[in-house]
Amino acid sequence: MRKYIWGRILRSIISIFLVTTIAMIMIYTQIPREKIFKNDSTYTKLGGDADAKTEYKYTKWEKLGYLDFVEQKDMCAVYTGSEYNACMEVDSDAVKTIVQDYVNKGYTSAVYTKNGLAYVYKDKPVLNIVWNFYHNMFQLDNPGRVTDPDNPNLERKVYAGKDYAGNFAIMCSGCDHKYLLYFDGSFPWIHQNFIMFSLGTSYPTYDGQLITDVIGTGQGTDVMTQKTFETGQTSKSALLLHSCTYKQTSTLDRLDKNKFNDNYAYCSSQKSDPSMISQSMLFGTLALLIAYVLSIPAGMSMASHKGQLRDKIGTVYINFMIAVPSLAFIFLARVLFSSLFALPDKFSILGAHDVRSYVLPIITLALLDTSSIMLWTRRYMIDQSSADYVKFARAKGLSQREIFTHHIMRNAIIPIAQSLPSNIILTICGAVITETVFAIPGTGKLLPDAIKAYNNQMIVALTLIFTALSIFSVLLGDLLITWLDPRIQLVDKEGGAV
Amino acid sequence: MSTLENKAVNPAADSSKFVFVKMDKDRTEHIAAPKYSYWKSVFRQFFSSKVTIATLIVVAAIILLSIFQPMFSGYDPVAHKNINDAATHFITPNFSNIKYWFGTDSLGDSMWDKIWLGSRNSMAIAFIATGITTVLGVIVGAFWGYSKSFDKIMLEVYNVFANVPFTLVVFVLMYILGSGFWQLIFAMSVTSWLNTAYFIRVQVMIIRDREYNLASRCLGTSTWNIIKNNILPYLVSVIVTSVSRDVPSFISLEVFLSWLGIGVGEQVESLGRIISFNTTYMSGTPYLFWIPVAMSAVITVTLYVVGQGLADASDPRTHM
Repeated sequence: MRKYIWGRILRSIISIFLVTTIAMIMIYTQIPREKIFKNDSTYTKLGGDADAKTEYKYTKWEKLGYLDFVEQKDMCAVYTGSEYNACMEVDSDAVKTIVQDYVNKGYTSAVYTKNGLAYVYKDKPVLNIVWNFYHNMFQLDNPGRVTDPDNPNLERKVYAGKDYAGNFAIMCSGCDHKYLLYFDGSFPWIHQNFIMFSLGTSYPTYDGQLITDVIGTGQGTDVMTQKTFETGQTSKSALLLHSCTYKQTSTLDRLDKNKFNDNYAYCSSQKSDPSMISQSMLFGTLALLIAYVLSIPAGMSMASHKGQLRDKIGTVYINFMIAVPSLAFIFLARVLFSSLFALPDKFSILGAHDVRSYVLPIITLALLDTSSIMLWTRRYMIDQSSADYVKFARAKGLSQREIFTHHIMRNAIIPIAQSLPSNIILTICGAVITETVFAIPGTGKLLPDAIKAYNNQMIVALTLIFTALSIFSVLLGDLLITWLDPRIQLVDKEGGAV
Repeated sequence: MSTLENKAVNPAADSSKFVFVKMDKDRTEHIAAPKYSYWKSVFRQFFSSKVTIATLIVVAAIILLSIFQPMFSGYDPVAHKNINDAATHFITPNFSNIKYWFGTDSLGDSMWDKIWLGSRNSMAIAFIATGITTVLGVIVGAFWGYSKSFDKIMLEVYNVFANVPFTLVVFVLMYILGSGFWQLIFAMSVTSWLNTAYFIRVQVMIIRDREYNLASRCLGTSTWNIIKNNILPYLVSVIVTSVSRDVPSFISLEVFLSWLGIGVGEQVESLGRIISFNTTYMSGTPYLFWIPVAMSAVITVTLYVVGQGLADASDPRTHM
């Protein structure tokens, strides 16, 4: 069994790797790289300045891994003083020879249309981007990570100590993060920064932010609370002191120095609203809970009254829910319920801190989930109801009710339980239509938004996340049913007895 | 009881009372069973439900209107003929107004014309995608289920792609291919055939090792002939069930993707595009939004009901 699970995990990882790599290769070869600037406000602001636009584009492309870009000022950097200035002349002899060197190495040379300065670039293979993505995915934080020429005396050590609040923590000097292991009041109470997980940087939307941060950190406005810093200064601040990372000495300002004794002054802030992931999960799990509570008894009741009125009504409902496009249903539910109960039809009207914002989307989502759960509960219960053990139970004189709730239900629930983990986990992916219609800031909107903005990095990261989640949730579902029902074997036993 | 005893008592009967009958070749071929034609039974079963017939009429009307209405309306989704004539903008639906009895939108285009062209494209996408998915899925699935060596390779392929969310695949493909009619069909069918094939594989495996197939194989029938003559007829009801599920769900998917702006492009009218374009007018001129939404719901629900009816009717177990 253990061998089987490890095999499945390995296959899952291969699967995720293949799917993500295929997606990445297709995206980076098929999407014209000019397109990524379509929605970049910085690029648009450059207006008619052709040279600045060219420089911006090539710098961005180099950063994203498309190509290698060398400007005249980089080429002339080998010289100093007057020689540098001579080299920086348009069409200077010095730069000509350097450009020729680059051209011999396979670079393409070009000049800025206005100022006439030279630059060269060379396309990198797509595999370069793919390699960078996987290479940077997991990084180990270690005391040698920080390079800061202005702080040569930086101590490099990992040590156990007490954090700012007096709790035990493993801390580091020289690492990116100050706190490698710490405890606090938020789930899952124990946090680590030894291994940093990165899915790249978002561009052009959420420009410069890590994608994991876009999805996982809070949204909304900063929440200021009274805080005492390690220097003894107390002030109202939103900084999350456990999140602090190293800030280069050259960028440290007076405010930082007032608050911190060391260079770990780059901290994220406490936000008022939940992150995209928690927002989507909150909606999804609550809706799922309601859906299960409503539809399992409904399916049971349909099965035990098969062919009667309630079964027929239920079947009409199920077919209606399956056939009607979710888009139509969601809009209809929004109009109906918001006028019936006088509830806001957009999440943003009352915001994340008002219960009323949650009612409509959750009811809508729950109703969307009910049809399939009802359908399968009914189907499995009817399948089971002709089994021998049911006849035996009936012969023993058990009531129909007892047979259904105790005997059939326990068997019929197993295939339903198989989809439970994936239903819960996939709430992370969010409900695309519901979140768009109700304007909920969750993960569901992220992928269509990224597609419209040509945010390649985000699309690749989301492909990886969604694929991984769905593949592993299927595995979890399989494990759950073997635990619920020991008769189910995922591996064929030696000798063929299954 | 008494006749039996009589026979036993008088074994030698009067032979003059009997006449020798010549062997009748036609009669020997006749099997003593009621006449049964599969397709006749399917249609008899299908037309026995009044609800199905009523829905079938609606479906037929919708399909005919969406084929022929756009041929004669001359409506061009990119022309916007009335864009400069403000008087034709936002005409509310009115049965007395024959020219614009579904009203006009913000650009003065007739909603009646738009709806039918949109329905035609939405349905065409769904039908073509279902066709590709089904043909490819059934052919590959039949071989997959039948051949054990092919099964090993295909299972590995299936395991890699099976659990990747379908919408994610369509999203990423539409991003890569760009929006458009054929792009959408490609994105929808490129992985969904694998699920149909897997579904067929399981069905084939169930009947693969039945005695009559074993006998065929012993007699040297080729794999293709076994699949074509022995196995595929068994799968008709399964295939119909799968088609009846696919068509409405592809229509819903088209509506969903085009509404998000990543389905068919600006050049192509579709229900999703109309809904997407008119979402902004939901509170001001709600008919612009609700007409295409209602249309998409009517199309999918009626197609689903007809499909379910056909699927039920094509299951031989209902023919008794």
